[in-house]
Amino acid sequence: MIENRLARSSTPGIAALQRTVNKSFLLPAYIIISFLFLISEKSDFRAIRFIKALINDGITYSIYIVNAPVNLILGAGSEARQYFNFNIVLENKKLKDEIDQLVSEKKELLFFKNENENLKRVLNIKNKDAYTAVYTKIIHEDTNEFAKNLIITIGSNENIQLGQAVVRNNVYLGKISEVNLLSSKVMVITDINSRVPVVIPSKGVNAILKGNGLGGAQLLFLPQNVSLENNDQIYTSGTDGSIKEGLYVGKISTDNKKDLKNRRYLVDLGFKEHQLNYVSVLKIARQ
Amino acid sequence: MRSFLEKIKYYSAHIIITLICINDSIFINTWIAPGPIINIKYILVFYFSFFQKERLSVTFLFILGLIFDSLQGMPFGLTPICFIILNKIAIFLKKRRTHTNFQNEFIAFAISLLVTQIVSIIILNYFSQNSFEYFLLAINIMVTLIFYPVIRQILKIFYSY
Repeated sequence: MIENRLARSSTPGIAALQRTVNKSFLLPAYIIISFLFLISEKSDFRAIRFIKALINDGITYSIYIVNAPVNLILGAGSEARQYFNFNIVLENKKLKDEIDQLVSEKKELLFFKNENENLKRVLNIKNKDAYTAVYTKIIHEDTNEFAKNLIITIGSNENIQLGQAVVRNNVYLGKISEVNLLSSKVMVITDINSRVPVVIPSKGVNAILKGNGLGGAQLLFLPQNVSLENNDQIYTSGTDGSIKEGLYVGKISTDNKKDLKNRRYLVDLGFKEHQLNYVSVLKIARQ
Repeated sequence: MRSFLEKIKYYSAHIIITLICINDSIFINTWIAPGPIINIKYILVFYFSFFQKERLSVTFLFILGLIFDSLQGMPFGLTPICFIILNKIAIFLKKRRTHTNFQNEFIAFAISLLVTQIVSIIILNYFSQNSFEYFLLAINIMVTLIFYPVIRQILKIFYSY
């Protein structure tokens, strides 16, 4: 009874004292909770992982709702530009020409594919792992000084697993770095923690592609005295066993210095950051 | 009506910080420079802690930090600790100076940012397997310091009305 009276007290002195007690209690409490969270990062308990996955899903979908008006405003500009596009007839003609060209290239590819399969049959080479693609939406994109992430709308509900490749139109974007119940995080190729085994088929060279954390990537472990040219294409080599081989990554851009030791190789990635809406996750269907 | 507008103005700091923290890559990094360049969340937390220390509560900073960690895939608890440290250092440095000019304020921000980044590096080293580059962090700190006067001025103009 007395405690209740104290709690409801409107006396300025007591109210101020209560506030001070609350505040002085809150600060150490939050710091202790934060450290408990950090310590739990190192533990491998299923229950803790499940709780974290639940928190992550809750935050992700809440942010998606909160961000809806922001995304609407940001998207309005590009939609308005499309609406007032007066060059639509010319653009249509250009796209039709491109489609014709792509159809002829597709026919040629089909021919090579059949030829390749016939040769494999003759040489008795077994087919490698088959992959199935799961289409998904990006609901959030985040960058800070330590990481570069995309959040997608599928998780363990679609049997997504760590390390699976994420692509857009057969262009490699990154791999799954965290799986929750209804969402997953993708570590983008430009993240400083990203390492991808790649191959440059025109030169028969293998290397590791490392993100530089500034929106680009660099090639590591190139053989000595290798000479790469501008526009040499880079594909995933698939040597890590989880990323499909032959996914397009980007092309080489070099300063073409005569001295090979001083020649610098940059990578022009096959996608543009901040312009992605939908991606596919490649899942291995072992034969 | 007036009190309603005042309430909106009071909570606008919370709304601005929340929206910018969850969208900092869209607002700043995409428009001004590619990659993780400006640490705008630290600028905002420092600014409001330094000039209006009553505005941002520890509870708000703790929850916002957790949201941020969840979105960024950082170890849970890293950003709440950084936000709380930044808030407390800003309040402490403000208390020490009875007369604050821009020079004092900028030095206070530089000290707070440096301490916060050192704490985050120590925590990441102990509790996470993610690697990081000191060079990138140095760029981040430098550009954040360069942009501090600009963002501070925008906020001053916004809150002078």
